[in-house]
Amino acid sequence: MFNVTTLVHTEARDAVVAALRSAVHGVPDALIAPTLPGVRNGGDVLMHLGFHDDRDWPRVRARIDEALSTPAVTRVDSVTYRGTLVGPENPDGSVYRALFLRVAPDTPDDVVVRFEADLAALPRYVSTITAWQLSRVEEATGVSDWTHVFSQRFTDLAGLTGPYLMHPIHWAYVDRWFDPECPEYIVRDRVCHSFCALPH
Amino acid sequence: MSEEVYVVDRVITKPGCAKRFVDAYLAEYAPGARQRGMTLRDVLVSPPIWFDDQVNTITVTWSLPSPQAWWEMTWQGRPDPTVAQWWADVGPWIHDRSRGVAAAAEDVDGLCDV
Repeated sequence: MFNVTTLVHTEARDAVVAALRSAVHGVPDALIAPTLPGVRNGGDVLMHLGFHDDRDWPRVRARIDEALSTPAVTRVDSVTYRGTLVGPENPDGSVYRALFLRVAPDTPDDVVVRFEADLAALPRYVSTITAWQLSRVEEATGVSDWTHVFSQRFTDLAGLTGPYLMHPIHWAYVDRWFDPECPEYIVRDRVCHSFCALPH
Repeated sequence: MSEEVYVVDRVITKPGCAKRFVDAYLAEYAPGARQRGMTLRDVLVSPPIWFDDQVNTITVTWSLPSPQAWWEMTWQGRPDPTVAQWWADVGPWIHDRSRGVAAAAEDVDGLCDV
C-alpha cells in the first residue's frame, strides 16, 4: 500500500476540508477530518490516503496541490510511505493518530533499527491501540525532513490521552529516544503529533 | 499502591572527574530539576573514593509522585536548551552514562494497568 499523510495548518478549516474531500474524490481509502483539540504541531486538518497502486498518486496530488494553493493555508507537512496497518482486517477505533518524526541524520543504522523496534513494541503494551503502522518516509515536505511516520487507530480519544501516555512502556522505555536528557536522544526536531476522529 | 516513579542517572566519570561532576550536578543541574518537580533521593559514589586514575560510578536517584508528574517534568525540560546544554558541557568528564526510569517492584502491575 502506498500512503500519503498530510497535516494542514489553516484558519479556514471547514473550507480546506471541503476542498480536499473534493480533490480526493474517487480515492477509496481517504480520511480527511479536522484535527481534535490536544494536537501538538499537528495542524488543523489531517488527511490520510491509501493507494493500492502508487501510479494513482500523481494525478490526485495535482488536485490536492491546487486545493491547498490558497492563502488560507499557512503550512503543510506531508509524507509518503509504504506499508499496511498491523492489526485485524477491520480494526475498531474512533481516533486516527499520526506522529511525524525526524531521526537525526548522523544516527547509525543499527541504532535506527533499535529505535524502530522500540516504537513497534508500544502497541503490544497499549491495549487501546487497535491497529498501527510504522514506516520510513519516502518523500517529506514541511518544516522538517521527516524520516518516519508512526500511525495508530485508538479505541477512543481517552485511549490516546490516557493509556498511551501513561503506560510505562512509553515514559520509562520508548521516550528516551525523544528526551534531550538521555544519551539515546536521536529525535531532536520537534515532532508532529496529530489526530482526528475516524468516521463511524 | 504508590504511583511514585524514580529517575536514575548512572554516570561513569573519567578518572579524576568524579568530584567535579558531583559538585557541578548538585550546584548547577539539581536546582532546575527540583523546579521541574523532582525530589533528590540519593547521590551515591562507587567506589566511595575520589579516584584520580580510575573511573567512578555516580548513581543519582530522583523521585516524582506519578507518571503524570514525570511528563510534566520532561515537558518543562525539553524546550529549555540549557538543560541539554548542561549535559553537553559536562560531557568531557563522562566516560559513559544512562538515564533510567523505574518504580518499586510492588507498583509495577498497578502502573501497567492503565
